[in-house]
Amino acid sequence: MAASMSSSCYLSSLRLIPFNRTFFSSVNPPSKNLILRPIPSFLRTIVTFLKIPTVIVSPLSASSSPSSSVDLQPIEELPPKLQEIVKLFQSVQEPKAKYEQLLFYGKNLKPLDSRFKTRENKVEGCVSQVWVRAFFDEERNVVYEADSDSVLTKGLAALLVNGLSGRPVTEILRVTPDFAVLLGLQQSLTPSRNNGFLNMLKLMQKKALSLEVKAEEGTSESTTDEASVVEVDLESKPPSVVEVEESESVSNVVALGSRGMRIREKLEKELNPVELEVEDVSYQHAGHAAVRGSAGADGETHFNLRVVSDAFQGKSLVKRHRMVYDLLQEELQSGLHALSIVAKTPAEV
Amino acid sequence: MEGVAMKLPSFKSLAPTAISVASTFSIRRSLSFARRSSSLSAATITADSEPVSLGHRARKDFRILHQEVNGSKLVYLDSAATSQKPAAVLEALQNYYEFYNSNVHRGIHYLSAKATDEFELARKKVARFINASDSREIVFTRNATEAINLVAYSWGLSNLKPGDEVCAPLVILTVAEHHSCIVPWQIVSQKTGAVLKFVTLNEDEVPDIDMLREMISEKTKLVAVHHVSNVLASSLPIEEIVVWAHEVGAKVLVDACQSVPHMVVDVQKLNADFLVASSHKMCGPTGIGFLYGKSDLLLAMPPFLGGGEMISDVFLDHSTYAEPPSRFEAGTPAIGEAIALGAACDYLSDIGMPKIHEYEVELAKYLYETLASVPDVRIYGPRPSESVQRAALCSFNVEGLHPTDLATFLDQQHGVAIRSGHHCAQPLHRYLGVNASARASLYFYNTKEDVDSFIVALADTVSFFNSFK
Repeated sequence: MAASMSSSCYLSSLRLIPFNRTFFSSVNPPSKNLILRPIPSFLRTIVTFLKIPTVIVSPLSASSSPSSSVDLQPIEELPPKLQEIVKLFQSVQEPKAKYEQLLFYGKNLKPLDSRFKTRENKVEGCVSQVWVRAFFDEERNVVYEADSDSVLTKGLAALLVNGLSGRPVTEILRVTPDFAVLLGLQQSLTPSRNNGFLNMLKLMQKKALSLEVKAEEGTSESTTDEASVVEVDLESKPPSVVEVEESESVSNVVALGSRGMRIREKLEKELNPVELEVEDVSYQHAGHAAVRGSAGADGETHFNLRVVSDAFQGKSLVKRHRMVYDLLQEELQSGLHALSIVAKTPAEV
Repeated sequence: MEGVAMKLPSFKSLAPTAISVASTFSIRRSLSFARRSSSLSAATITADSEPVSLGHRARKDFRILHQEVNGSKLVYLDSAATSQKPAAVLEALQNYYEFYNSNVHRGIHYLSAKATDEFELARKKVARFINASDSREIVFTRNATEAINLVAYSWGLSNLKPGDEVCAPLVILTVAEHHSCIVPWQIVSQKTGAVLKFVTLNEDEVPDIDMLREMISEKTKLVAVHHVSNVLASSLPIEEIVVWAHEVGAKVLVDACQSVPHMVVDVQKLNADFLVASSHKMCGPTGIGFLYGKSDLLLAMPPFLGGGEMISDVFLDHSTYAEPPSRFEAGTPAIGEAIALGAACDYLSDIGMPKIHEYEVELAKYLYETLASVPDVRIYGPRPSESVQRAALCSFNVEGLHPTDLATFLDQQHGVAIRSGHHCAQPLHRYLGVNASARASLYFYNTKEDVDSFIVALADTVSFFNSFK
């Protein structure tokens, strides 16, 4: 169970980030590490599950992606201001004019007070110096400020600041660097140490997340579902995604709500499984922003699935997961956030 | 066929079947040989009278230089980071894999004997290139960095210990060293307690030789310095430094990465104890470099990496080690790469290192003068003069413009490839008071026109960014 769980989690987390596949054909692990590394391990769990629905449900995104050949994150998923910026850059054809536009953004960037030019605010891996600062406004939207000694980098920072400032944490965390391709600035997206733009975005996302976590720790849990709510002590969660699911699922059995029942019905009907386990583990994610508000009243957002069925015969792990996701599309669009899937044939059990 | 016999004597012994089988290949090869021999004959016949420079003639051998990037012709000015490889070197590598790839030193069969011969021949070529007295003084490594680490771990750990004296042994470096000649000594010093002292720059922006001389004392065990600086373009008087060091019984390690590719380097004349260089900076492939060490030093050094090749007999509880250079070449070496490095040595020797150096001195002066004439440009290192010859590279900064912006724009808008950053010399940049610099570096396949394109592009870039201020 653990092995297949870990492989499904691995695949799930790999599939999260589309540019992983498309741009880095050579080596996967470094890019995976690059995405995960700056974010502390216990927080990695949250980010992993948060991102699945937007990427896995690809039939939706394929049609709306402006770049037809590659599976980029659709522009509609970006915060509105960032969408505008991307469209603006796309309308400017000449490279030199694009640079002028970038420099223009940089010039109009609000200067960052030097007391904020600290080590925690510095973007790693930039040949130039870049600092980013993040704080919440009254409505718990993230506000950014940034600066750089290189005017081009400052322009890029300004772009991100303008595009992401004033938005909620969930929206910011959903952004992938794909949009940089759409800008047409030829900023390299390889996860090399020196990719300042990628690191800038990641630092901004990391800061948004940590603002959220700090705010959460300040308030008590506030979910409204009937499931037993477990105080999620983020500090003590074990490092691997796998172990979290394993250890906590045994001791906290939760009765299935309506969504859980629907999932069970659907999978039973379509896959005719020999074994089927549907486990609601939403309580483990209770309290973080994605759950609050967007799941609807039932709060059923995270499930562990174990399906043993002949329908998986001859299919790769990826295909099996795809099958399950396809069947549960409706749920994914109406508040189901994440699935952890074990898909086996009877022979493999 | 004649070309084959002349240029690659090793192929005389190749089985005739191999050559007849690869008919299409030989056509391609004979074409490129024709190209190569014509370029070389041009070099020998018309050297005195024709106006075509070495750069123009050599360019023909480098296909990679004839391309467009971002809509402009490529102007490659980053040879200090890595050099381009001529067709002859690429062919040598291809030939190895295509005709006689086999593991070396242990095999009995024909292919492995051939591979071994070529591999050891390459060692001899490198030895000859730097005038080492014996090819056994050449240890093949992955690159110069590994070569320095080899000396640090093998020689350094056993020789930089306090021993009988109460005071700690001293290692003398300069602030202008490449990280590869700083960090390994820091690691050793942490383990052995050796003290590192750094020579700073004088007002000409070269390492202060007088300061170096004064620093050398009985406590000094090692002086590890560059021959030519990859940032300042200055050279150090290695011969004199070796004399001073040997007076107190200290050894000298020379980082010759920027000198071996560009000028005659004669280890007999220099009399250095250790010398390192990288293949990829001298028209050879990446993945191979070498350490030159005097025989008596290498013989006394314990192994660096353990494994096959470097052993004599292996038992369960102990092993005995091979003689140098094998002692320091554990595992299967980069065979094809070593052979291609040998081919690079041949290629460079055919042109003649003195000729290459002479051409580059001229190019260096031209680069410096035209760059210095651009307003607000600050070039690091000494001014060229009668007594001071700069290498053909310039690290510089433009007032109010970050080098990264500069390099990005030069590349995107003009196809000019330069480097920006600290060039693996952070202490030097800190000393000079800057975060980063831009660097344009030339090799014998560059021309005056390349320099002109660079300057035009630079002026355009500066005015573009200035218009935003």
